[in-house]
Formats: sequence, structure tokens, C-alpha cells
Amino acid sequence: MLARCARCQGTFATDRFGHQTCPHCGSELLLADPNAPPGSSPEPPAPPAPPVPPPEPPAAAPPPAPEPPRGWQGGAGPLPPPPPPGGWAGPPPGGWGPPPPGGGWGGYPPPPGPAPQGAPAPFAERGRLGFFAAFFETWKLVATQPAAYFRRVRIDQTGTAVLFGVIASTVGNAVQAVYTHFSGAQARAAMAGLLENMPEEQARIARTFLESMTGGFTLVQIVAAPILALLFTYVWAGVFHLLLMLLRGANRGFDATLTAVAYANGLNLLLAVPGCGGILALVWGLVVLVIGLGEVQRCGAGKAAVAVLAPAILACVCCCGAFGIPAFMKGVEEAARQTQTTRL
Amino acid sequence: MNLTWRRTPRFGHPEVFATIALASFLVARFLPVLSLPYTCPLKGMAGIPCATCGMTRAFVHLAHGDAALAFASSPLGALLAGGAWLYAAADLARVALGAPFPVPSARALRTATAAGILALLANWAWLLVRGTGS
Repeated sequence: MLARCARCQGTFATDRFGHQTCPHCGSELLLADPNAPPGSSPEPPAPPAPPVPPPEPPAAAPPPAPEPPRGWQGGAGPLPPPPPPGGWAGPPPGGWGPPPPGGGWGGYPPPPGPAPQGAPAPFAERGRLGFFAAFFETWKLVATQPAAYFRRVRIDQTGTAVLFGVIASTVGNAVQAVYTHFSGAQARAAMAGLLENMPEEQARIARTFLESMTGGFTLVQIVAAPILALLFTYVWAGVFHLLLMLLRGANRGFDATLTAVAYANGLNLLLAVPGCGGILALVWGLVVLVIGLGEVQRCGAGKAAVAVLAPAILACVCCCGAFGIPAFMKGVEEAARQTQTTRL
Repeated sequence: MNLTWRRTPRFGHPEVFATIALASFLVARFLPVLSLPYTCPLKGMAGIPCATCGMTRAFVHLAHGDAALAFASSPLGALLAGGAWLYAAADLARVALGAPFPVPSARALRTATAAGILALLANWAWLLVRGTGS
């Protein structure tokens, strides 16, 4: 028999009822046995078997609907299939009627168009929950339960996701800029002795860096923070999405990648932590991004990690190559010279 | 290359990217970005340019109409700038005319991505050979 996945709407052949794994997106789904006695399954009974036509494909789980607000504490499992709008009542009085002539019931009905899948992020319900409560609830979920969160979050609310990421990045960067401004004088004094012993080029770069920690640059950093956050969210989402496409891991479109990148940007709020905030935000943000991309694109953490780390890996490999090739060539030249000297 | 034409919202993701491209032109053309005290850390520490070295100068020179200098700074940067600004203009025209958005096939996008990575490596090799960039 044919079954259709409620998540990705892909069809696949199976010969049994019960728990299945969708071969397209890997989601767990439950195929209810139409001949099972009522009450034998925790799932709602499916409509009767043919010739009685069901309102949904007979062997498929119903499509998921938006999760009610309770849903984010429920662990990492897939969304339970909710009942259809009309409930799970059996056939209408008098049965479903005979099949239409010339081909029976035909194929499955077309998949529901823009039906939302997953649960809205708490931040998407900030009007109801309150801005700060919704923001911190979302941040907590992203930071502490990324797998469960990204598996279930809706991907058609990219505006909310981008707003969340931009706000978190702006606050983090602004606090960091102010903190750096006040600590810049001490840093310059501490580095003064060190700079004298550095090579000229390195000392110039270090001086430039130290100068950028104070004065007008602080204001520029604060003003530019939201613009740069928005820009980098889209640019990195585009880069990661192209790399995921290259790895055949972009199963759910650009919206999903943008959602993961934008929510992972929320970890930039950690930039506000003095001292270790930068490294904390970087490492934690990368971990959340890898997990998030893997879950939201249903491609697994491996492909997501390759897509996220590929630019850095590429840079490292090329840097090593760039350092290594001149050293290698120098070694070859030296060896050749020694060989010539030995022959002479 | 297979294209499908898709109706998009008035201001969707393609328009966000077009806006970013347009903003890059305005910044390169009207802001003194080359005067910013910034040096590529890799170039400063190791003496070799990174893969994206010279791209800012390529954008600025092209925005001022100096294509030769832009290509000399970074060939890929010049191509990227030209492509981005052409895309921004084309998308603006498309939105104004209400035309659908051409979506390349997944295979074409994969090929373009692989070509982009190779182009980045080739650009880096060219910068290393020339020893330019800052």
C-alpha cells in the first residue's frame, strides 16, 4: 500500500501498519490500522477501509497542525498528529457512498497547500505572551533545546526569526561595544609594552585594532549593529543554503535555512557577557546552528556541520596550503642544491 | 539551464538580496570605506592575502567606473560586484513590471555553487601569485 508522510507529503510504499519512518524526510509517523478494534491504539481511529473512502489517504498520518502554545516543553519527539478539523468521527450517516465511476477513487488528493507545519516560536506570539517573556522563552529554547526546538518550529515565519536574531545580535554587539569602549584604555596601556617588541606590521595591526575599540568606532558599531546583523543573517543563510544544496541537504527550502540561521543568531546575545562572551557566543552559536540546520532541513547534523564549517575548513586548508607550498618549494630547492653540491 | 518562473511576494527574499546588493553599491560609491583603518589579519600576520582580500577595493573601484583597477584588485570581487548590481537592477525592474521570479533548477544551483567555490580558490591562487591585497 501507499502511504503519505504528513510532514513532507512524500509518498512511499509499505506493507504494514504501525510506526514507520518516512524514507524522504526521516520523520516518524504512525499508520493506523483501519481494521484494528476501537480503543486498541492511542492514536485516533482512521476512517474505515475501502470501499468506504476516507477524507484523508487511508494509510497516512494526518497532516500536522500548529502546535498549541503548550508544546515546547514536550521533549524531542515529533509532533503528535492532531485530529483533522472535523474530528475523527466515522463516516457520515449513510456511509461515504459508492466510488465514482471510471477509476474508483483515483489517487490521493493534492497535498494541502500552505498549511503551516510545526509550532510557532514563542517569539511569534509576543503579542499574547508579552515581548520580553516571548523573547527569553524563545532564547532559552534555542540555547538549551536546539534539537527539539528546530525540529518543531514553523519555517514560514522567517520575519519573526530574523527579528529575533537581529534584536539579540544588536543588544549583544551594543553591550560589547560599550564594555570594550570602557576597557579600551586599560587594554592600550597593557599592550603598550607588548607592541614595542612586535614586528612593525603586526604592531600596526594591533594598534589599529586597539584604536577601533574606542571613540567614534563604538558609536559606529552600535548604530551599524542591526544593519550588519540583518545583512549577515541573509548572506550567511544564502551561503549555507547553497552549500546544503551542493550536499543535497536542503530539503525544505531557503525559509528553513534562514529560520535556523536567524534563531541561531540569538546566541549573539552572549556577546554581552564580559570577557568570554565572544568565544562563548561563537562556539555555542555554531553548535546550535549545526543542530538547528540539521533538524530544520531534515538533513542530519553531518551535512549541516559540513555546510556550516566548510568555509572555515576551506580557509584553514588553503591557509595551510599557502603556508606549506612555499616551505615545500624551499625544501625542494634546498634538497636540489645539496644534491648538486654533493655531485660537484 | 532549467528555469521555473514563480510568483513571489512584492518584497520577498529575492528583494532582500537585491537591497543588500544595492546597498553595497551605495556604500562603495559614496562612503570612504577605503579610508577605514583596517588590515586583513592574515595578510598582516602571515604576509599572505586571504581569499577575499582586495574585494572591498574591487567593489569601490567598480562603483567608481574603474573596471581595470577593480579586476586588478580582485577578479572575483569585480565579477561579484558586477553580478550583484546587475541582479539588483534586474530584480528592481522585475518587481516594477510585476513579472515572475526565475528560479533555477536545483542542479543548476549546485553547479553554480561548485563553480563559485572553484572560482574563489582560483582567485586566491591568483592573489597569492601576485602577492596583492591588504
